[in-house]
Amino acid sequence: MYLVLDKVRKEFDNKVAVDDLSLEVPQGVIYGIIGPNGAGKTTTIRMIMNIIAPDSGRVLFENREADGRFTDRVGYLPEERGLYKKMLVKDVMIYLAELKGKKAAEVLPQIDRWLTRMELIDYRDRKVEDLSKGMAQKLQFLTTILHDPDVIILDELFSGLDPINMELLKDVLLDLKRAGKTILFSTHVMEQAEKLCDHICMISSGRKVLDGKMSDVKAQFGKNSIQVEMEGDGAFVRSLPGVAAMTNFNNYLELRLDKGANPSAILRQIVDKVEVKRFQVVEPSLYDIFIDTAKVSRTKLMGEGEEARRV
Amino acid sequence: MSKFWVIFKREYTQVVKKKSFLVGIFLTPILMAAFMVLPALLAGSEQTASEHMAVVDQSGLSIGTRFEEALQKYTVGEDSLPAYVFDQVFEVSVDDNARRISLVDSLSAAIQAKQIKYLLVVMPHPELSDNNLALVTNSDDFRAIRRFEQSLTDIISAIRLEHSDVNLPVDSVLSLTRSVDLPLRDSQGEAIPFEVKYFAALILVMLIYGMIVTYGTMLMRSVIEEKSSRIMEVMVSSVSPFQLMLGKVMGLGAAAFTTVLVWVLLGAGFMLFGGTAGASMMGDAISRMIFNPVIVVFFVLFLISGYLLYSTIFALIGSILNSEKESQNYIFPIVMILILPVMVGIGVVRDPYVMWAQIMSYIPLFAPTLMVMRIMFIAPTQMEYSLFSGIVAEGTISLLLVVAATIGMIWLTGRVFRVGILMYGKRPTLPELARWIRHR
Repeated sequence: MYLVLDKVRKEFDNKVAVDDLSLEVPQGVIYGIIGPNGAGKTTTIRMIMNIIAPDSGRVLFENREADGRFTDRVGYLPEERGLYKKMLVKDVMIYLAELKGKKAAEVLPQIDRWLTRMELIDYRDRKVEDLSKGMAQKLQFLTTILHDPDVIILDELFSGLDPINMELLKDVLLDLKRAGKTILFSTHVMEQAEKLCDHICMISSGRKVLDGKMSDVKAQFGKNSIQVEMEGDGAFVRSLPGVAAMTNFNNYLELRLDKGANPSAILRQIVDKVEVKRFQVVEPSLYDIFIDTAKVSRTKLMGEGEEARRV
Repeated sequence: MSKFWVIFKREYTQVVKKKSFLVGIFLTPILMAAFMVLPALLAGSEQTASEHMAVVDQSGLSIGTRFEEALQKYTVGEDSLPAYVFDQVFEVSVDDNARRISLVDSLSAAIQAKQIKYLLVVMPHPELSDNNLALVTNSDDFRAIRRFEQSLTDIISAIRLEHSDVNLPVDSVLSLTRSVDLPLRDSQGEAIPFEVKYFAALILVMLIYGMIVTYGTMLMRSVIEEKSSRIMEVMVSSVSPFQLMLGKVMGLGAAAFTTVLVWVLLGAGFMLFGGTAGASMMGDAISRMIFNPVIVVFFVLFLISGYLLYSTIFALIGSILNSEKESQNYIFPIVMILILPVMVGIGVVRDPYVMWAQIMSYIPLFAPTLMVMRIMFIAPTQMEYSLFSGIVAEGTISLLLVVAATIGMIWLTGRVFRVGILMYGKRPTLPELARWIRHR
């Protein structure tokens, strides 16, 4: 395995932030660490980055203890972002690359290429403080990957980005993956992970609840979800036999069925009461899987989702 | 290039490249020189032309005329013009107060109009009371006033002698009673006036103080800024907090040292090329004292170790604070500790070996400024066997203590720094700080 966390544990003030967490990240994948805020994602990443030392357990990279040489091969974008406001855009990029052991001359050609791709080239010789928030985020992302790291660790990459920039960054991530880079990213927004990740690890309250290849995870849960689009009050559906869980979006329901329940039987009962426009049996969403396995209350996760949309 | 040097380079260049640095490096010595030279210029401003004066003499003893004669020995300029030109000497009869008053009124107006500079008024019986003499002027030129006082002392003493029973020639009595000017010599036979020592010490102490406060607070602000701009986490994912701290301390220290170096070179250059022509005697004496090798060595070592000690303290404080506003409360006490030796300096001038000063010299926080000050007072007169003299031994011990404290402080700050820089929000309590330090 490429990057391994072996029973890593961290306590703060007698509160367990990460509880004997073990991960195995293969090379060349996009690996998502998923969980609600406060689940221990950032602490886990900080331990990988050697910013905080685990109380017990080890972090291994290429079968060796992850130390200073490892950090140079990693690009890290923390959740809390910032750059030197008074420095020129290109100077910040050079400086942070130098801190990763690169020479200025090595990265200079890359700087122009990346700034052009991120539509920031006009700001090359401007001060960081002249950038808008979205531009600063793109710049910060560039400083993370400029030194051509093998592993890219992104803590809540997409938070606060507008859809256009999100798309821009997503394309870069896919290119990087194609180039053989390993990308580890954390998010509390399930939809993002669902679209991007090859592998996922779900954590809740510092513990791993589920991990594996995205396709395996989904297959494990089978096609036991139903989406219903309809008109009328669908509240009664929750109490139908065979329905394990339901999310009610007013004119749109997402149902999770008990094992072995028959979708057709449920459809029949719904059609009797309301006007059904669409009825589809689908793979469960990560969101559903998470709720199912972590036994986290729906409202808590919903709250997180709401927050994610707001920021 | 190791990461320490990357940080060092950035911290150094971002200070040195600023316009304010360049302005400061050249403006400060000019301002300092102005501060030292201007008062001297203003007070003892060189007289360039004859000054006009008048006398209203109601004594009936020809004091005005005698005064005029006595002042003839003073000249001004290369052409030996008389320093004081007597426009008018009015002799008023002893009982004609009205005339004296009207004369004084009109001549005062002449002073106001700057036609004359001094008006000496002599009322009856000046030999009985100084209240019967007055000098009217809008000038505070103490040199001129001292000359007038001396001349009048001679004249009036002569009058008193004439009126007394002493049967001796006036001149011999005056020469017998001439006041003594006590010359100062220390045990090595050197005569360095007190002001020279004090000024020279003050220059070096202010340099240390200025560098520590300027660059120490700059360091603290920079740490706080890195925290509040949230770049800290990016930094510590690339370098260890210890490298970061050391790079910043050293980088800014190098900037401080650059400043001092430029000033020393400017000063040396000034001494070599402009020194004899431009510098006053006092400036010359001060620079001769400062460029004493013993003092230079101690100054440089105390400047470096003092900066390192204080700047790590500033870095520690910066790492546990969240905003620059909070930092104000912490700067003041540190500055007070640093400046304390200057405030108690007069006591040290009186006796550099005074017990409390010796004890305080072994307290690392006081040592850099206090010890430099004491060495300054003692060393210059003991140059010949300076290497073996007590103050050098004392200075060396004190220096070693500062170095030891600095190493301890760097360790302590390193421990706090690595935790503090990633902590936001509430300031840590002392027990929490202790836990950070113990934490592995």
